[in-house]
Amino acid sequence: MKTLENETVENADIVEAKPSGSAVRAADGKGERRLPASVLTPPAPPPPPHLDDYASIIGQGQVDALRFLARELKGKTIQMVNSTSVGGGVAEILNRLVPLLSELEVPTSWDVITGGNDFFEVTKAFHNALHGSPYELTEAARQIFLMYNEQNRERMQFDADMVVIHDPQPVGLVRSKEKGSAHWVWRCHIDLSNPNQQVWEFLRPFVDQYDAAIFSSQSFARQLPIPQYLFYPSIDPLSEKNKDLEESVVQKVCDEFGIDRSRPIVTQVSRFDRLKDPVGVVHAYKLAKKYVDCQLVLAGGGASDDPEGAAVLQEVKEAAGNDPDIIVLDLPPWCALEINAIQRASTLVVQKSLREGFGLTLTEALWKGKPTIAGAVGGIPNQIIHKLTGVLVHSVEGCAFQIRYLLTHPEFARRIGTSGREHVKENFLITTNVKRWLLLGRLLQKS
Amino acid sequence: MLERKNNGFRKPGKPFYFNTSEHLLRIGRQKAHTLAELLEALETCPDDCIFQHTFRTLQEHHFIRQGFSNDFAHWSITACHEPALAEQLASLDVRDFTSLDSLRGRVTEIVGEFLSEHPASGPRTAHEPFYFCASELVVLPTAFVADSVASFIEGLKQVPVHSIHHHFIEARLRLHLMSNDFSQWLEEEAGLKEAGERFERIDIYANTMEGVRQLMTLILEQAAQ
Repeated sequence: MKTLENETVENADIVEAKPSGSAVRAADGKGERRLPASVLTPPAPPPPPHLDDYASIIGQGQVDALRFLARELKGKTIQMVNSTSVGGGVAEILNRLVPLLSELEVPTSWDVITGGNDFFEVTKAFHNALHGSPYELTEAARQIFLMYNEQNRERMQFDADMVVIHDPQPVGLVRSKEKGSAHWVWRCHIDLSNPNQQVWEFLRPFVDQYDAAIFSSQSFARQLPIPQYLFYPSIDPLSEKNKDLEESVVQKVCDEFGIDRSRPIVTQVSRFDRLKDPVGVVHAYKLAKKYVDCQLVLAGGGASDDPEGAAVLQEVKEAAGNDPDIIVLDLPPWCALEINAIQRASTLVVQKSLREGFGLTLTEALWKGKPTIAGAVGGIPNQIIHKLTGVLVHSVEGCAFQIRYLLTHPEFARRIGTSGREHVKENFLITTNVKRWLLLGRLLQKS
Repeated sequence: MLERKNNGFRKPGKPFYFNTSEHLLRIGRQKAHTLAELLEALETCPDDCIFQHTFRTLQEHHFIRQGFSNDFAHWSITACHEPALAEQLASLDVRDFTSLDSLRGRVTEIVGEFLSEHPASGPRTAHEPFYFCASELVVLPTAFVADSVASFIEGLKQVPVHSIHHHFIEARLRLHLMSNDFSQWLEEEAGLKEAGERFERIDIYANTMEGVRQLMTLILEQAAQ
């Protein structure tokens, strides 16, 4: 037990990086240091890449195929609508998808609905309920949801050839759909495999009015009277989080966070959220460490602006105890480059989620060719084909065994890592996502 | 070297147009929680579901050298823990079939026979359901057209890997022949019957699709010597 900043702490060797610039402990526990200035403020976003920039990754033939597919849709317009322009996987995908479709001469716009705190409290509750959490749908919640959808509907114009509504928040905008006009598509990014029935029955009449629905996994789909398609969430290989990095950049980031690259590094990147089971990862690491030497890096965020996240972080620290090889990083959301470097430095990557729509951080690790261990839940089995593109586990003990196995069987680890990267290249890149939208556009146009 | 040797080849009568195919995955209405339900759904699902879970899944997983054959085999082992059934299903070679109907018949026969011999396995709930999906297919041209064996080899080396799958594997369903677009062209237009036959003997399940591409290139380069 050591004392730091007039505060008695139990876990003196955990590096907890805070965006506020407060003093943090070094990995060796010998002193204090501040985070590098580079991670304290958000960097300016780089300009979005152009389609040709992807040719070196997916091949010129695939870029040509996108251009050919787009030719039939030339001039047709797409309007994307969601509930937030920043933060979260949907905004991240739209930020790349919209300019790429527009570059292909399929002009694509992106509108964001507005609402008061009361609306977003209701939609957050809906989100959790659709994931299966207990929830009592009140008449007040219904009215708030309907009122804001109606306000947005009156405010917005829907004159595109294809209107794409993302997730449940704006689902009611479909009331603007007119017979014989644009095609309306509902893109559901969340896991609807076990929804709260009250909420689902309330939303379903809106969903039924769309021309098509899109889900991230076949297991999330519902019985609907409209065609349903499978679009995997995608990552951008040219983004800060995924682009190739110079070895010196990776080393610098590891040095800054006290990660020893001369020893095996096991990493989980995720929010401090119980559904990501970071405490389970600590226990798995401890079981594995009886047999193999390694460090554990838990890199994520969500603890500084979310009371539950802070509580989970505390649980992680308690589980970690005094182990100097457990490095916990509570990073601000703009640390994409640092996450990229940590993933690249890792020997293997874990995503031991207990529930997961689709593990984007897992896709990121696969893209970097890392052998991965993941919980066999939600959409993850689409990403990890057991023993071929990674390994699936169902328990802390299973996770511990796979850590031991992969660290002691580097050839097998290398093989699944290589196949994992190819799996991403084939199915989970932003360019594949563009292709799916173009295919859907062509299909709807002919229907 | 190749150009000089190509002088010895017959000038192809017709050029070869390299196409490729792209697919959109539609989530079907049927799902199976048990092997008995799988058997029932296999008998009634649309043809494009059979296509998706056999031909198309092979294309999606073209980078895996071993251990992946079709979705039915994969589900039998990972969700039903039935290695004997999985082994039988995995031994199916889609190139043995020139119609989806005959392929459906064989898959149904394998599952049916297994359940006759192991009736207790029929109603046992799988770890996760099998979701029937289907393919919406679009055929696209590529930038490559071959009017000689040399330009055919060049095209073979450069087209997207999906193009190889389209011409070499899916072609059977179009041609209704135990052959493929490449072998047909090599035999009929370029007079390279033996090379076309050697193409047919390439094991697509023991190679990645990139590996298949390399073997084809090698066969043609050997034929040119």
